[in-house]
Amino acid sequence: MPSLREIQQRFAGDIAAGSTIAPTFVRTSGTSTGERMAVYCRTIRANYRNAMSATYPAVRRIVGTLSFNAAVDAYVDAHPSRCGDLNEYGDAFGDFLHGYAEADELPYLRDVARLEWAIDEAHRAAEPALAPEAVLTALSHVAAGALPELHLGLEPSCRLVASAFPLLRIWQVNQADYDGDLRVDFTAGPHLLRIRRDRNAGSSEGADGARIMIERIDAGHHEWLSAIAQGLTLAQSLERAVDTDPVFDLQAALQKFIGDGSIDRIGHDPRASPRSGADSVTGLEALRD
Amino acid sequence: MRSNDALPAAAGLGLRAPHVKHVLASRPPVAWFEVHSENYFAGGGPALDALERIRSSYPLSLHGVGLSLGSTDPLSRMHLDKLARLIARVEPALVSEHLCWCGVGGRHFNDLLPLPFTAAALANICAHIDEAQHCLGREIAVENVSAYVAFDDSTMCEWEFVAEIVRRTGCKLLLDVNNVYVNSVNHDFEADRYLAAMPVDAIAEIHLAGFEASDACLIDTHGAPVAPEVWALYRKTIARIGPRPTLIEWDVDIPDFAVLEAEAETAAAVLADGHAVAA
Repeated sequence: MPSLREIQQRFAGDIAAGSTIAPTFVRTSGTSTGERMAVYCRTIRANYRNAMSATYPAVRRIVGTLSFNAAVDAYVDAHPSRCGDLNEYGDAFGDFLHGYAEADELPYLRDVARLEWAIDEAHRAAEPALAPEAVLTALSHVAAGALPELHLGLEPSCRLVASAFPLLRIWQVNQADYDGDLRVDFTAGPHLLRIRRDRNAGSSEGADGARIMIERIDAGHHEWLSAIAQGLTLAQSLERAVDTDPVFDLQAALQKFIGDGSIDRIGHDPRASPRSGADSVTGLEALRD
Repeated sequence: MRSNDALPAAAGLGLRAPHVKHVLASRPPVAWFEVHSENYFAGGGPALDALERIRSSYPLSLHGVGLSLGSTDPLSRMHLDKLARLIARVEPALVSEHLCWCGVGGRHFNDLLPLPFTAAALANICAHIDEAQHCLGREIAVENVSAYVAFDDSTMCEWEFVAEIVRRTGCKLLLDVNNVYVNSVNHDFEADRYLAAMPVDAIAEIHLAGFEASDACLIDTHGAPVAPEVWALYRKTIARIGPRPTLIEWDVDIPDFAVLEAEAETAAAVLADGHAVAA
């Protein structure tokens, strides 16, 4: 008699393989046991297709529902879910599409998927640690000598996506409610995008009322924010930004991105406590001494 | 201060994303709502904001679909932590999960898979329910699931398995009458026998939903009205055990809110008869 674990492993193997042959340990009632296993396979497949089309509506629109479903099925085989929360599933779909033969003629598809995943994550992100005024106040208290080693932190919903293609335009013309000119000038890239959840539009709008702001930013700003997201210090991120854009203006960048809430904390090492504003301010106390 | 902390023995609705705006704007006279816990695991954002506002006006039940209590894998601490965080945030009247497994060996199928009814499966799921109740610091309710296959190794009936889980762990029962009916057809037993074996005092909530018939079996789709046969079983159950919080679930091809309200009204009428008998 197989153990419970063996039963589960064999059952899981059959479902993953899409087998419609009833495993030996499943009771045969009439002739339909294999078909009954197939019910699980179909249900599971449909669940993933539905979840992924909610996350990737523009990708689905671009390739068509049939191709999209086939791509999702292949993705599920290549990247099985490891989480009991289906909302977290699908993060690697963009990279998967990049190597997916059926998507060869759509080189921008990966970037559309990466943008849609960033939007999805922005919807689900935690609230910012500090309001802009508090960040500015904290910054004003940092001793000048401590500034180079200072770490900034991006607010939780902030995402950066870089594309060699006019990604924002491609995404816009593939929105369900878009009824304007469908032409895309594919030479109009690159697009460097900053994605954020709008904190001011949320509360009166209901669950689907979240406004996600997608903004094109220039190369220096994109490089600088990317360096901050990687946990580099103010000096290191400045160096990276200036390498990209020799006229990068740090003062202006701080004003813009603290002012609009993109940077919501400063301190010793935001990576050590990436979601805790209080800790990073504590870190700041140490910097003052 | 939330005045409505317990689930009333009245008809509630499963709240799904397409109806959230309507509920917030019009505050319909629904006795209580239930949501899928995982849909609110996010650290923040408008969905969670909306849930908190709904919670301020309605009793709430949190219904999980991904804890995988019956798996031989360890319980996911991350999943439990997120559930605990959500519980602290919305203070639900009830927290429930399923008597099933969702994956093994680290792989998740994000579906409710059937268990063999054996001593080993019983010991395994009871240990996980104990662990979950300990981690969350509260009782949970567990729901019987629909199954499309049965296992050769089963040594007891499903109703014995379910009743024994409740006895061993002290957990509550979320009795899904539709799932009892679906299984009675799929596995050829008397639904009345199953229902008669349920521990009456432990039944904290009842679920009603629609199934679809395929060539092979009945499928618990949550995509149709509650079937007449299930209403009949529900009436019998309420007449026997008295009124209990009863939920209408509808998860695919979600209809207009008014359709759900009409289903809830049918349940409310059955509950009113139950209240009359109880009085």
